Amino acid sequence: MTDIGPIFRALLQNKLGTLLIALQIALTLAIVTNAAFITQQRAADIARPTGLDEPNTGIILTTIFDMQLDQMQMLRDDLETLRTIPGVIAATVVNSVPASGSGWNDGLYVDAEQLSNESVNYGRFMVDEQGLDTFGLELVAGRNFEPEDMVRFSMEENGIPGVLVVSQALADALFPDGDALGKTVFNEVGGGQPMRIVGIYDHMQNAWPSSDRVDLTALVPVYMLFGGGMYTLRTEPGQLPRVLTEAEELLSKNRSRIIDYVRTFEEQKRRTYSGDIAMIKLLGSVIAVLSVITGLGIVGLAWFSVTQRRKQIGTRRALGATRWDIVRYFMVEIGLISMTGLFIGMIGTIALNWFLDTSYEVGRMPLWYLPVGTAALWLLGQLAVLVPARRAAKIPPALATRSV
Amino acid sequence: MFNYYLRLALSSIRRTPVLSALMVLALGLGIGAFMTTFTVYHLMSGDPIPHRSDMLYAVQLDNWDPNRPPTESARDVRAQLTWQDGNNLVLADTPATRQVHMYGTGAVVVPEGNDPPFDESVRATWHSFFPMFDVPFLYGGPWGQAEDEARAGVAVIGRELNDKLFNGENSVGRDLQLDDQHYRVVGVIDDWQPMPRFYHSDWGRAFEDTEQVFIPMNRAIDLQMGQRGNTNCWKMPDEDLPLFEGFLKSECVFTQFWAELETPQQVAAYKDYLDNYVRGQKAIGRFERPLATFISDVMEWMDVMRVVRDDNRVLLRLSFLFLLVCVLNTVGLLMAKFMGKGGEVALRRAMGASRRQVFQQNLIEVGLIGVLGGLAGAGLAWLGLRAVENMYRGYQHLVHLDAVMLLTAIATATVFAVLAGMYPVWRVSRLAPAGLLKTQ
Repeated sequence: MTDIGPIFRALLQNKLGTLLIALQIALTLAIVTNAAFITQQRAADIARPTGLDEPNTGIILTTIFDMQLDQMQMLRDDLETLRTIPGVIAATVVNSVPASGSGWNDGLYVDAEQLSNESVNYGRFMVDEQGLDTFGLELVAGRNFEPEDMVRFSMEENGIPGVLVVSQALADALFPDGDALGKTVFNEVGGGQPMRIVGIYDHMQNAWPSSDRVDLTALVPVYMLFGGGMYTLRTEPGQLPRVLTEAEELLSKNRSRIIDYVRTFEEQKRRTYSGDIAMIKLLGSVIAVLSVITGLGIVGLAWFSVTQRRKQIGTRRALGATRWDIVRYFMVEIGLISMTGLFIGMIGTIALNWFLDTSYEVGRMPLWYLPVGTAALWLLGQLAVLVPARRAAKIPPALATRSV
Repeated sequence: MFNYYLRLALSSIRRTPVLSALMVLALGLGIGAFMTTFTVYHLMSGDPIPHRSDMLYAVQLDNWDPNRPPTESARDVRAQLTWQDGNNLVLADTPATRQVHMYGTGAVVVPEGNDPPFDESVRATWHSFFPMFDVPFLYGGPWGQAEDEARAGVAVIGRELNDKLFNGENSVGRDLQLDDQHYRVVGVIDDWQPMPRFYHSDWGRAFEDTEQVFIPMNRAIDLQMGQRGNTNCWKMPDEDLPLFEGFLKSECVFTQFWAELETPQQVAAYKDYLDNYVRGQKAIGRFERPLATFISDVMEWMDVMRVVRDDNRVLLRLSFLFLLVCVLNTVGLLMAKFMGKGGEVALRRAMGASRRQVFQQNLIEVGLIGVLGGLAGAGLAWLGLRAVENMYRGYQHLVHLDAVMLLTAIATATVFAVLAGMYPVWRVSRLAPAGLLKTQ
């Protein structure tokens, strides 16, 4: 490593050029690691399980326009139709599905004395007795709904459910001692609308994946009769596309309502997360393009410096330097520049993360991003310089004698 | 002289094609990325109704749960009103020039003939909506006070729906069926898309299409048309009343309310009016929290509603840093390139070119690279905006690249390139010719 001295002195000859490339590497490190961190976080958010059997769940939204229609009869007919399609495990009518961005939130009280700000907020899903099975939830305690639990909620009939099935997280939030099953909770302050917890399921998200109470959910046995129905169904693995096509065909036969959409749950989830998915794609392209630009910048500069030093390299070769010595010269050179840049860059990375976190709440970056990002950019520099360095190594020693 | 320098620049660029292409590409990518995020940010943070935005005020009343933490700013208060408060205000004789009360609903449009019915978003509003928000009409016009009072079955439709239902003809007086109800079309709105859609800018809905159907709010209420969009309640509606009536008389918020106030005196008087209204309601047992009312003009309201999302700000900052890297990259490459031109420069200097002429000539070369980079950047920004349009829902109105943006892209790239090239060009023009000529 005796080369470092002369290489370092040669770099000092072109202070500004060296500083520029070092700064470029520093900024690249700051941007790339921060972008990678944000991308990683969004991907982790999306990957959280909703609790549903995601790949095998479909949603059909219908709207009626003949207001004289018997909606309850229509729901029964539709559910009957959907449940008899081969490949359907379960189907239900719902007010909304998890992670869809639109739903119903409400508050529960454990006793009549609690104040209105002491309620536990939960995502309320109105389903029938196949709801639990359609969402693919596992009952960890108690029972599912019975047909006689069902009530109707419409303009004419304000049926109030007497029972509910809650998520484990909601059960724990309401009754930290773990004795939620069988307890009565109230949907209204002052002890109004009592409901008995008859079952507890493992886990399901609410409609708003960014909320901080995303896991507090409950199913209530209610038929909502407000101008249409959102049907959800779960199929045997691989049957979903065929079942949805068939379902649309069968439901279209009723001409007194329209089918707004038929979509898979996965598509619904993609829509809900479209902002995060876009962020992942945009930041992903930033990482890729920036690495390429910085890499090409290093290639360009080194290429040029090889052209500039042809005679000098020829002389070194004539004086006994091996090809590897020449390659190593350039690798050590970019290594020294990278080190400077990456050192400034680490400070820059932390500063940028601090700025983005305090201004836009992107979160604190775990420290392990720094060594990983640094190593990656170091490697990028070494790889980029290889191309021109190998060209330099091919300069024949005879060049030294030619133009003198 | 300029043409000669331009020819020299072109031949110099051709002599180092890889290096020049790298510079153009780097500049282009930097400008492209920055222009993409900047265009989105610029349009998001733009004034949707420039000539009236300072006289239109969104109204907020703090009717919420007395047990919640105290209100400090407009952001702590619900963005919507209860139907009863909105209705009381819209019927009252207030200091405002005009007021509008409205909510978003929906219906199935049933076309005449055999075309299939389809769902449409419907805005239930008052006649004042159209002049207040300066809505342009293609045919006919808004309905009037009389129709609002008569709770009439009239409708204003959008151009797009008019094209679909009536082949773009003047449909004033024609019949429109929504669900099982019939309406008489009184006006057709021309293309109208305020950006953001300020009058109802609920989280995530600020960039949606304007509705294609507008009907009198009183009519929609009579028909018990359900609200679409956010509804928030802190207290259950009275269960002894029929459901819809109970909902209307409840503390549930789901309507939007705007007032037109032209002078500071009017603003102050209106604010007093609102405060007094709330005091009156307190007297009958509502509004249990400390008195808090807010009025915000359009741009203040866009801020309260956080219409520009943090993600867009993050992207804007990062893409600016990205551009900075690209510029640094270009300076580095220019340094290398001009240092390599020492011999040529020395020759030109020896032949009698002044430093100034050498400086000018090389600056033109840098400028040319900037223009090419800007063109590449504009092309990439166009592609970037298409990509953004595909990735986000409801961004289709945000992502147009106009001539101004195109020129800005080219000008920015040229300015950055010239600034980036200033130092290398200056360095090369200061080289002493004698030393360099010797080594040739």
